[in-house]
Amino acid sequence: MKKLIKLFAVALLLLNFQFPISNIKAQGILGGHVTGNIQFDGQISRQDSVIGASDVPEKFLSNTRADILYTNGDFSAGLRFEAYLNPLLGFNSQYTGQGIANYFVSYKTQDFAITAGHFYEQFGNGMTLRAYEDRYLGLDNAIRGLNVMYHPWKGVTLKGVIGQQRYYWDTRGMVRGIDAEVTLNDIIKRWNESKTRLTLGGSFVSKYEEDETVLSDINGYKLNLPKNVGATSVRMDLSHGGFGLQAEYAYKGQDPTVINDYIYKSGNAAWISASYSQKGMSANIQAKRVDNMGFKSVRSEGGEMLYINYTPAISKQHTYAFLSMYPYATQVTGELGLQGDFMYKFKKETLLGGKYGTDLHINASLITGLDTTRIGGKGTDGYTSTLFGTGDTYYGDVSVEIAKKLSAKLKLTATYGYVVFNPIVGGHGGDLHHNHVAIADLTWKINRKNVLRFEAEWMGSDSKYDPEDDDKRAGDWIMGLVEYNFTSKWFVSVSDQYAYQDGVGNYYNISVGYTQKATRLQLGYGKQREGIICIGGVCRQVPASNGLTFSLTTSF
Amino acid sequence: MKRIALTIVATFLMSMVFAQNAKMPDNITLKTLDGRTVESSVIQNDGKPIIVSFWATWCKPCNRELNTIKEVYEDWQAETGVKLVAISIDDARSASRVKPHVDGNGWEYEVYIDQNQDFKRAMNVVNVPHTFIINGKGEIVWQHTSFVEGSEEELIELVKKVAKGEEI
Repeated sequence: MKKLIKLFAVALLLLNFQFPISNIKAQGILGGHVTGNIQFDGQISRQDSVIGASDVPEKFLSNTRADILYTNGDFSAGLRFEAYLNPLLGFNSQYTGQGIANYFVSYKTQDFAITAGHFYEQFGNGMTLRAYEDRYLGLDNAIRGLNVMYHPWKGVTLKGVIGQQRYYWDTRGMVRGIDAEVTLNDIIKRWNESKTRLTLGGSFVSKYEEDETVLSDINGYKLNLPKNVGATSVRMDLSHGGFGLQAEYAYKGQDPTVINDYIYKSGNAAWISASYSQKGMSANIQAKRVDNMGFKSVRSEGGEMLYINYTPAISKQHTYAFLSMYPYATQVTGELGLQGDFMYKFKKETLLGGKYGTDLHINASLITGLDTTRIGGKGTDGYTSTLFGTGDTYYGDVSVEIAKKLSAKLKLTATYGYVVFNPIVGGHGGDLHHNHVAIADLTWKINRKNVLRFEAEWMGSDSKYDPEDDDKRAGDWIMGLVEYNFTSKWFVSVSDQYAYQDGVGNYYNISVGYTQKATRLQLGYGKQREGIICIGGVCRQVPASNGLTFSLTTSF
Repeated sequence: MKRIALTIVATFLMSMVFAQNAKMPDNITLKTLDGRTVESSVIQNDGKPIIVSFWATWCKPCNRELNTIKEVYEDWQAETGVKLVAISIDDARSASRVKPHVDGNGWEYEVYIDQNQDFKRAMNVVNVPHTFIINGKGEIVWQHTSFVEGSEEELIELVKKVAKGEEI
């Protein structure tokens, strides 16, 4: 036995010298590559009730994550270590702890792929199934199980999944799904070279859960809960030169859960997007209707976790502080949305284009509730809804952005936005907030190594801060930001957001960062509002915090 | 017995130490702007260098990077033969806006959509923008996260070296 092992070791050694590791095609047992990334975020936090940074008895909070990926030809395997000691503000306390949160082995060729362990997957636009993660939001609904993909013919993709969803440090539920997608141009010979391209797809996903006791509102009897709930969808993607049309319709069977208050109404969602674009010009319009389409693998789970499907907001994702102050999230119980986008590039040497050209970007969106009539509570069909009837306004915005290079060294982006937001969506009370926002963003490239950026924002709102309701976004605000970049390596940024009328809060922040290739170190001090922050050349989502923050990311 | 185990471990570690540049994965599923499904092996440039840039429609620094390079892209191509491949990580919320966004900005890059973020994970991208230089052999020879004006000049200096077959 010992001899055998010895022989094996020698063979391995020889193999390793025989086939240099740099040559991945060698497929030696020891060949292949290890890559990965590490991220560490720490906070030394002080309580600040004004900005919503809660008391932190342990003083220091940190999230760590390391992904290690081993690839050898068609084979790959990965491990992820996560530690939340204790979790950063904004992350669920159930993450507290550390360990291996994700592992998988995968074999993938051009036509076939199989993954066992944790995986992320999406069918179509995700209306029936989307296992995804957003590390900055603390969302991870990876499925642990088996994922198979197969291309029987060119243009045909079949997928199958089965598994349980991640729930913090545990897995819950049971999800099964299949998906098929066909690009007709690839299977119909006559259409091979056609300018018109058509892809069709469909999926079926079901979840299984054991029975439990939930009492009806009507007679107090125990509800007869379905153990298996299915959802299905059909979709299309049509394009012809600059024209594009995409649509998806999804339907879900009776699925009484805590998010729809245990009603038996079926769910559905429809989405359509039409666009036209040519070089220097584009227009896109999208419409969406969602009706009782929250699909979770555990019926009693009310939080952010265990969603099987994904019905994204169709409003534009703004990244300037005051425009993104009201991030809109789809109301899965029911909403109607419309969104339009228009981009135009005024050419160089024209009246509006000037010497360098001018970019114009207009966007508008409106999202409302459905027009519903209540039938009853738990155990009933809940409500009826009309197809195009609208209910309360949830969110609306119009923004106009003009980006212009003023000279070889100066670039200006000026934005005006109007945002209407219903505080109910964010869990607050009161009337609609109507906000006007104006933003100027100026980049001054002093020379090749020194770049300064200035950002000034103003928000005028009809909302007033109410201590009882405690919506910290209310009121009139101003903001200033100065960022200095020395080469692509160093940056310092100083910013302040101040409620000058009818609001509370003063969010001052100073950040210093150092980037060397794919390693980035950032240190910040001050108060931070929850939201997307784009400084020092990257964008990331951050939680509300007060104190010292430290962040390190590296990829290798 | 222990010694043998150690030898194996040491060999494995040595192989990691000697390991050179990782190859860019060629079997990741991506979507083209007209809805076709392709594998990442389509990212090719006849032995010349490739810049792979991960971006999103909503990411300001990404847009600044791609707009800045746009102005010098023709010169870069003429000089080094480099090709820029832009990988959008937009999800269902904004994926249908990627093509209008690319055309509206007048970008002439090869663009793929990585909606399920498989490529992002395989390339260990944490934040966008994240930019890679791939040499003629398909190996990742350099990567950088973040963009500020002026970085593009550092980028092309490196691409020139890679085009000449120099180590960076």
